[in-house]
Amino acid sequence: MSPILILAPLLVAVLLVLLPLLLGKVPVSYNVRNLRIRWQTTLLTVIAFVIVVGLLTVMLAFVNGMYRLTEGSAQPGNVVVLSMGATDEQFSNLGYADTGDIEQEKEVLLDAEGRHLISKEVFLVVVQPIPNAPKGGRQRRFIQLRGIEDPVVSGEVHGLELHEGGAWFGAAGSQENDKPKKANPEGAKDDAAALPVIQAVIGEGLARELGKDQNKPTLVVGDRFDLGDRDWVVTGVMKSAGTTYDSELWAKRGIVGPKFGKETFTTYVLRTADPAKAQALSDTLTNTYKKASVKAQPETEYFSKLNATNLQFLYAIGVVAVFMALGGVFGIMNTMFAAVSQRTKDIGVLRILGYARWQVLVSFFLEAMLIAIIGGVLGCALGFLANGLTATSIVSSGPGGGKSVVLKLVVDANILAVGMLFTLGMGAAGGLLPSLTAMRLRPLESLR
Amino acid sequence: MNHWREHVSFWLQVFQEWVREPLFYVFLAVVALLLVTTCAHPRFLPFILKSLRRNVVRTVLTSMAIMFLVLVVTAIWTVLKFMNEITQEKARDLKVIVTERWQIPSQMPYTYYGDITRGPAKSVEDKDHMAWAFYGGTIDPDKRDWNSQLFFFSMQPNKFMTMMDGVDELTPTQREKLAEALKAMELDKRKCLIGAEKLKGLNKRVGERITVTSVNFREIDLEFEIAGELPAGRYGQSSVMNQQYLLDALEDYKKKKLKPHPMDTRNLNLVWLRVPDSQAFEEVTTAIETSSLFSSPAVKCERASSAIASFLDAYKDLLWGMRWLLAPAILVTLALVISNAISISVRERRTEMAVLKVLGFTPNMVLCMVLGEALLVGVLTGLVAEVVFYTAVQWYGGIPFQVAFFPKFRLPEDSLWWGPMLGGLTAFAGSIVPAWSARSVKVSEVFSKIA
Repeated sequence: MSPILILAPLLVAVLLVLLPLLLGKVPVSYNVRNLRIRWQTTLLTVIAFVIVVGLLTVMLAFVNGMYRLTEGSAQPGNVVVLSMGATDEQFSNLGYADTGDIEQEKEVLLDAEGRHLISKEVFLVVVQPIPNAPKGGRQRRFIQLRGIEDPVVSGEVHGLELHEGGAWFGAAGSQENDKPKKANPEGAKDDAAALPVIQAVIGEGLARELGKDQNKPTLVVGDRFDLGDRDWVVTGVMKSAGTTYDSELWAKRGIVGPKFGKETFTTYVLRTADPAKAQALSDTLTNTYKKASVKAQPETEYFSKLNATNLQFLYAIGVVAVFMALGGVFGIMNTMFAAVSQRTKDIGVLRILGYARWQVLVSFFLEAMLIAIIGGVLGCALGFLANGLTATSIVSSGPGGGKSVVLKLVVDANILAVGMLFTLGMGAAGGLLPSLTAMRLRPLESLR
Repeated sequence: MNHWREHVSFWLQVFQEWVREPLFYVFLAVVALLLVTTCAHPRFLPFILKSLRRNVVRTVLTSMAIMFLVLVVTAIWTVLKFMNEITQEKARDLKVIVTERWQIPSQMPYTYYGDITRGPAKSVEDKDHMAWAFYGGTIDPDKRDWNSQLFFFSMQPNKFMTMMDGVDELTPTQREKLAEALKAMELDKRKCLIGAEKLKGLNKRVGERITVTSVNFREIDLEFEIAGELPAGRYGQSSVMNQQYLLDALEDYKKKKLKPHPMDTRNLNLVWLRVPDSQAFEEVTTAIETSSLFSSPAVKCERASSAIASFLDAYKDLLWGMRWLLAPAILVTLALVISNAISISVRERRTEMAVLKVLGFTPNMVLCMVLGEALLVGVLTGLVAEVVFYTAVQWYGGIPFQVAFFPKFRLPEDSLWWGPMLGGLTAFAGSIVPAWSARSVKVSEVFSKIA
């Protein structure tokens, strides 16, 4: 959402609160003194606000992190090609014989060495038994494995580089296994040590996850692990933080495709010069490519469709936030009604001293808003502590499929503005009714 | 009469489950505390009710706050309880899932099903089993949006009632209707069942015919007659078709094209086996995983709980946040709101407390009355909130919140005591300090101030 859409109502709300102060005399110091004197009630209400706004900030930071992740994964000039009807990479089938000439499309860029910038991929989800998993708990994890043809080209297409010391896997995609072979009387057929080690590059998030199996903070270049009854070696760790590739393992398609039962490609990613060309190429491929029925779309569009889960979380957060806010509103109403009933005589005195009805209304309304603002500011500050924390989640275009991701919670100005708007809304909703009650009190009656 | 008996037997069963829940005893303790604080003395209840009536606005506002916050916690606990149950390892009456060893989605040849059930799983004494294939497609190939898409469990219709999860949660009428529709599917392989919510999305009704253009079984486009609907909730977005229909269609393809369909050897996604206990599970697992019949592709066996836990891994932080952050924070907020209301009430009534003491009420009786006031509001509001929520969610078919392949969460019967328990506990936590302060009111101080 545009920052202006959030910040503008916040500014308007603050101005609306401050305007009466500028227009005429309102006994603000009287209100502040009251809050101080009734500090216990004030404190309890403020804490309730802190919790509600703090939680809202954290929840929104989670969804914000998911949006940042999907946005950060897309290259504006890229086009993603899946088979027609496939809702996810996992369900796509692109036969090489039918689609092998897609790279010849004129919009596809060439790299410095004259190669077409196309990443031909097979996306697989592979099951890995968790070493030393506690009995009764989760025994297996799912690894997102991307089989690619040329890792250098794929890295360039996806805008990914390796951390220092790493290298993309070689043309063969495997290397000699130096592990001692098991003495197997039936031959070495099933012994992983007898087969070459599969080379792979790995996303940072997945490297951390697999590192736990070896009691390390993360896997590094040269580290080995088991997957699919084979030995694997890390040749590089991708600078993938903030993208969906953070939870992926990349290896040679020619090895992992047949190994895990998928001989065809699932995805082609083509690099064009700019978003306009990406859109044009997408339209051309979807509408006029005859050899196979494909669905091409700009990568930005593809990743924005993966935001279906984010939207679902956002709706859920909205519902939870509204219910929590209602609880908070009733809480502050209680506080303010009590304030009005305890200060009936004060109101009478104020009216006799010349304060108008609207000034009494503003006075009590401001008191409620002050509680809300203090609670909101502290709540936002508390929520801000979650900024940068990592969490696992899933992004998908709908039920079924999807990608497991590691994301960072992002508390930005928009989130803080939403938090403050929310708190002002709660304060206003909770403070208005008691303030109106205070305004309606007649001076003489209230002094009796 | 039968209907009534079924209801009684259902609630008796529910009650038997309740008494196995440790939290249920916390609820009973809360109720006991409420009874003590409101009924220990004949004057308590009238005093408490009078006090609550005196400031109706405050009572209503506090009740509303309790109601809304209890609803949120109940919704969170509903999701967590369901997740706990499906990922909890059972000791008896286990379900084993046989799937392809390495790949998701699992794809095996259908012959595996016969080989498993006639071979390794034959040794299991109490055997029931079913096979699943996933057949996905659209009724509008030009549009292919979410509303036009369908996802079928291709399975044996006669296995639905005995092997599918959640059938026991259906009402007798729903079960009866479902059994009829499944029978019709057995007699006519073209008949299918579609979830209530999916039917609405497709804008179709029972009795209508549809043609599905498949996405995963290319060129295997099938015509169906909708024989019935799966009740809203867990299967509200799913569909069920007769497995034989898919197998016959693949066979027809082979005859027509003179070559097998590319999915011909990948037309089985899962095999479910029911085994009596852990020992049987180990035996079946060893027999299947070591059998040379299942080497290409290799297969694995796992308990349903463990398999689902793997799928839920991506949601682990979200569920952690709901369990340890959101729910406790809401409960604290609730306790604060109650505490605030009771504190105000006590402060306003210090003179009254002093008078009560003069009239012979002991400090503990004053404490009881303040606690009773809070507990009465908390427990009653929690109860009302839950009864309303339970009825509404039953009518709607569940709480809509898609987690993995679970689109909705049915509110458990436990929620009927969760509400009063949560309301009562937070009321107790929130009122204990103000109640203590009321207990400590010094008569001389109060009257000297008045004087």
